[in-house]
Amino acid sequence: MLTLKLPHPGTLVALGILSLVAGGFIALARFDGGTPALLSIGPYLGQVLAFSITQALLSTALSLVLGIGLALALARRRFPGRDIVLAILGTTMVLPTIVAVFAVFAVYGRSGWLADFLAFLGWSEGFSIFGYPGILIAHVFLNGPFVARITLDGLNQVPAEHWRLASAFGFTPFQIFRHLDWPVLRAELPGIAGLIFLMCFKSFAIVLALGGGPSRSTLEVAIFEALKIDLDFGRVAWLALIQLAICLSMTGLLHWAFTRPPVGHTIRNLVYRPDAKNGNLKLFDTFVLAVSALFIAPLAFSVLTGLRSMLAVIDTDLLRAFLTSLTIATAAAILACALAFALASAARRQRLVLRSPRIATFYDLLPDALLAVPPFALTAGLFLLIQRVGDPSNAGLILLPLINGLAAVPFAYRYVAPHLLTTEERYGRVAASLGLTGWSKLTIMDWPVLKRPLAAGFVLAMALSFGDFGIIALFGGTELVTLPYLLYERLGAYRLDEASSIGLIIVLFAVLLAHASGRLSHAGD
Amino acid sequence: MLVIENCRLTWPDFTADYSLTVETGNLCAVIGPSGGGKTTLLHMIAGFERPESGTLTFNGQDLLPLEPAKRPAAIVFQDHNLFPHLSAAQNVALGLRPSLRLTRDEQSLVAEALDSVGLKGFDERRPGEMSGGQRQRVALARALISGRPLILLDEPFSSLDPALRRDMILLVDEMRRKRSVTILMTIHTPEDAADVADQMAFVADGRVVASGRPMDILGSALAPRIAAAVSDS
Repeated sequence: MLTLKLPHPGTLVALGILSLVAGGFIALARFDGGTPALLSIGPYLGQVLAFSITQALLSTALSLVLGIGLALALARRRFPGRDIVLAILGTTMVLPTIVAVFAVFAVYGRSGWLADFLAFLGWSEGFSIFGYPGILIAHVFLNGPFVARITLDGLNQVPAEHWRLASAFGFTPFQIFRHLDWPVLRAELPGIAGLIFLMCFKSFAIVLALGGGPSRSTLEVAIFEALKIDLDFGRVAWLALIQLAICLSMTGLLHWAFTRPPVGHTIRNLVYRPDAKNGNLKLFDTFVLAVSALFIAPLAFSVLTGLRSMLAVIDTDLLRAFLTSLTIATAAAILACALAFALASAARRQRLVLRSPRIATFYDLLPDALLAVPPFALTAGLFLLIQRVGDPSNAGLILLPLINGLAAVPFAYRYVAPHLLTTEERYGRVAASLGLTGWSKLTIMDWPVLKRPLAAGFVLAMALSFGDFGIIALFGGTELVTLPYLLYERLGAYRLDEASSIGLIIVLFAVLLAHASGRLSHAGD
Repeated sequence: MLVIENCRLTWPDFTADYSLTVETGNLCAVIGPSGGGKTTLLHMIAGFERPESGTLTFNGQDLLPLEPAKRPAAIVFQDHNLFPHLSAAQNVALGLRPSLRLTRDEQSLVAEALDSVGLKGFDERRPGEMSGGQRQRVALARALISGRPLILLDEPFSSLDPALRRDMILLVDEMRRKRSVTILMTIHTPEDAADVADQMAFVADGRVVASGRPMDILGSALAPRIAAAVSDS
């Protein structure tokens, strides 16, 4: 007998996501009835691709150099304020890109701190940060500390026994590097490098604001310009397909290459490093710490100048933008968590109940694959779809939370999926023998374990969406203004004082949320 | 002779004060409850922990001013003894030369050492490709090849199953008879080593509560405390 069973919610979600993306692309490609010739945009495309890749490679290399040097120096040195340095490094990881753009303007811009300082010294040559300098500074500022944090965490995983062996054998600093530090770096770096390359390759806000010309565009910016300036949907479709292909293969490669070795149990991370006493290393580490401080500190603290004009900048426009951002962020976070939960429980069911790990892997990969879809192309495609069925004037209000929510799914998924899996492994059989299914299984077995990671994922998704300057660049205007958009406007008008205050509000809120997320995910471990 | 006299170490929540004597060439089994200070005792002898007062000598040589690398002691931990990116032979070779640049003769010494712990032909294996017992054998081979007369084994076989554990202890016994090294070994179950050890020391609350022939210790008034320590963890 044939019985019709309702598919698992996760299956529906996966199908929904796939059809949204496919529908968007089909709508793009069929617009104007024309299939645009790839050849006609060939030279332009080549230029954009070359720039995207070159700046991403340079950004990655510089971020790695800064990050690794900093991680090793911090691992070897103990000094007052080290904890504060670590906290600042953690903060730049959640710093919205548009705020990084502001920081670069404030420090290196034409009327920035550096220019002031040089003028004070009597050197008034103008220099431009547009193009490579600005983009690289912003990318390294955001990613270098990220490399340092991840690497430092990795270095702390070296078992205390190995450090004791190193001092028992009398390892030289070089032997310590070779046998203790290098294996960690070799295991961690390919994954981190790939991830940073991907982020810089897709970079939007930074390249848009600091690129300084159409010849210096990433694919993402090129898609945006094709939409906003030329309304050339055919070109959007081609650029988006290429972006999708490159990012998907990078994501696949990362997934395949970046299998972290199982983390050994750390005994304590304040082990004594015998190489801390070496004079040359002391000198080297001091140099690295000084250079990093000179680079990171001004950028990080430039936002604090926003305190000065904070009161002057608060008006109804700002409050409205704040509320709009908050609403969009909340809606996006709800969406991200709901989708992540549905996908993760479908993955868990496939892996543990139905015993088909391949389908489970599909669910695991889908959130990451979502990151490869260019948001502007998806937005444009969905906009065209909405246009067919109804009034597109409020499309932004639907599309902003939707796109931001989709972008946050991978992060929420990472919080939710492991906990769902371990709960089933531990209590699945008991639940089955008690006859717990569906809603009762969710409330009795899953919810108590899941509520904290879910809350952590929710708050992180909010933080990401709150500071995002992405497709709001398309929809922003008199009708719809978010805080990051307001910041972008003020930057464009060179009103740095106001920009700094808005930047500070965004950063405070994003950091507060990210901090709450960290607390939520670590509490109760 | 290893002589430890009133070696005092203090932490905010723990104080240790050790006095113990071990004859050269003897195997001393150190037993006691977990958290009682067995490992700290070994770490102090190896030089990872420095006592604030007291004396520590081996065959008349003062060990306290020496860096861990300069002490006549080799140590084997319960876990994480081997570097995962190096082969078994390279891990053993570290005990001879941390630079890993070996002469022909030294290379054959390494091969012999592996052979002597029953791992002939395992030279190229990585730690990840070996069982827990095999990894501990490699660590043992390294401790022996280092030529240091004092060997410290910190619960070296506790993660192995009882039969294998017994084999390993017999191997240790055989080694020390061949090379006449002095061995301190912390163990979890006293029965494992009661017949091979020359001496047994009961350590609790940071002190060597009693030390003597295994039979005397196990048959003493301490027996209930020892039994409690074993069943406790």
